[in-house]
Amino acid sequence: MINWEHFIYFAIAAVLLWAVGAWAAWRSKTAVAYTSTAIGLAVFFGFILMMWISLERPPLRTMGETRLWYSFFLPLAGIIVYSRWKYKWILTFSTVLALVFICVNLFKPEIHSKTLMPALQSPWFAPHVIVYMFAYAVFGVATLMAIFLLIKEKSLNSKLPTLNLQLDNLVYVGLAFMTFGMLFGALWAKEAWGHYWSWDPKETWAAITWFAYLVYVHYRQLPKQKSRLALWLLILSFILLQMCWWGINYLPSAQGNSVHTYNM
Amino acid sequence: MKEGFLIGGGLVLAGLMLELSVGPVVWEAFAWPVNGIVFAAFLTVITVMFVLRKKVYAFRFIATYHSAIPTLVYAVVLTIIMGLTRQTANPSPADEGGTWLNHMLTFWPFVLTYVYMALILGMVILKQLQKWAAARFSLFALSSSLLSHLGLFLAMTTATLGNADMQRLRMITEVGLPENRALTPDNTIRQMPLTIELKRFIMETYDDGSPKRFASEIQIQTKSGKEVRATVDVNKPVKVEGWKIYQYGYDTQMGALSQTSILELVSDPWLPLVYTGIYMMLGGAVWMLLKGKKVNHQPSNCKSP
Repeated sequence: MINWEHFIYFAIAAVLLWAVGAWAAWRSKTAVAYTSTAIGLAVFFGFILMMWISLERPPLRTMGETRLWYSFFLPLAGIIVYSRWKYKWILTFSTVLALVFICVNLFKPEIHSKTLMPALQSPWFAPHVIVYMFAYAVFGVATLMAIFLLIKEKSLNSKLPTLNLQLDNLVYVGLAFMTFGMLFGALWAKEAWGHYWSWDPKETWAAITWFAYLVYVHYRQLPKQKSRLALWLLILSFILLQMCWWGINYLPSAQGNSVHTYNM
Repeated sequence: MKEGFLIGGGLVLAGLMLELSVGPVVWEAFAWPVNGIVFAAFLTVITVMFVLRKKVYAFRFIATYHSAIPTLVYAVVLTIIMGLTRQTANPSPADEGGTWLNHMLTFWPFVLTYVYMALILGMVILKQLQKWAAARFSLFALSSSLLSHLGLFLAMTTATLGNADMQRLRMITEVGLPENRALTPDNTIRQMPLTIELKRFIMETYDDGSPKRFASEIQIQTKSGKEVRATVDVNKPVKVEGWKIYQYGYDTQMGALSQTSILELVSDPWLPLVYTGIYMMLGGAVWMLLKGKKVNHQPSNCKSP
């Protein structure tokens, strides 16, 4: 049976394949970029799948397990963005970011036992968390792009409006998935806890994050706007998202009264 | 945009004054039929403001980005404050040391900000409905924006107003003893329209002793004389005549040998409206995903007043 010890082999293979994909993108070898990244994704997903089988539950319970999905979704989001807009740098960014999360998992695995408390045994569990992880990955890529645009603003001058619109589309994808995640959570909460929204600290921060991205989306509709402010809004929203994702685990006001803490 | 921020600031100030003069918002006072009347009145106000918007600048302003963006910012800031402070249930005189910020849901500035957001949503929806009507309600002309705004409006308003009609009670059942009393959240006993008898408590554990499954086999008798036999699992409530019955707890000291099961009985008459809103938002998100953002800006949507 596969276990956490085997992760490092799968991780090395996947990262190498993603790195080859990233290199191919710089060299404009599109076919190699696609193939290599896709095989890397398959290898990585293979590990997730085998963990799923050997744990006899979806590996989505602990922070370490959600990081596993995050490292998977980053290159996936990267390759989707690459296929649509052909940024040469995107695969490098997504690979490096995925590598960071893989390293965190290697040093601090947080993969635990087979136990899955009854509250988490629901058909909503997997879609709720997976959809959220995908949204987080897309927003991660959007944030990188925002930083990239802030730095390179001057040299990109004429291309900037188009790039900003492409960034909007990325945010729309992230926002759509975040909405799915939040509402799946509400529908699930009704079945599990008797109410669809209880202002649990995790829910409160989910609402904050959702509204923050809505500020960006609405701001971008203005005919006259400051493009740097819009990009900063994205970065700020992503910081708020971190609070929702893992920050509340360290927030004094959320201790002991969140039903969303399962990794204890 | 300055105007929008001023209005938001004004609402916070007005909220603070209300909090000082009349105390926190008393949501319990909104029980049926008050919430129905308030909802109808709110819809009427929105419609009247919409009709008069060509004449009154302030009404016209409400449905613009210049009013929506500052309101969203205020909502984010106030909700961040809520997320950073420990929230406690209903304020009571016994609850000393708790400040306004520990009861955000009854804090006027918070409530007014969200009410204003609902007002903006309402005006925007009417504006977009009018546009859609001009396209003869063609499915192709239906915007993801209309679905999302309408869904959020419906979910937000009906969830808030319907909250006073929601009943959540705990019923402690013991094997072989039919029970028809339950405890309200403030621990008063209430007669229920259902009688429940626990037939068997089921408990399965993992190797390390942590619970894998706990469930109750119950026999339910309704007021109308209907008899239902069901198993209530965590995550699998049973629905009977407007009530949902949840597995809530058990005698943890007895563990698998527990002869007691605590059930939660929930009735929420406004749920279908809230769910309609949620499904509309889901539909809006799917639509947004499929369509994305057009590369050409549509100037008709972005005009300032």
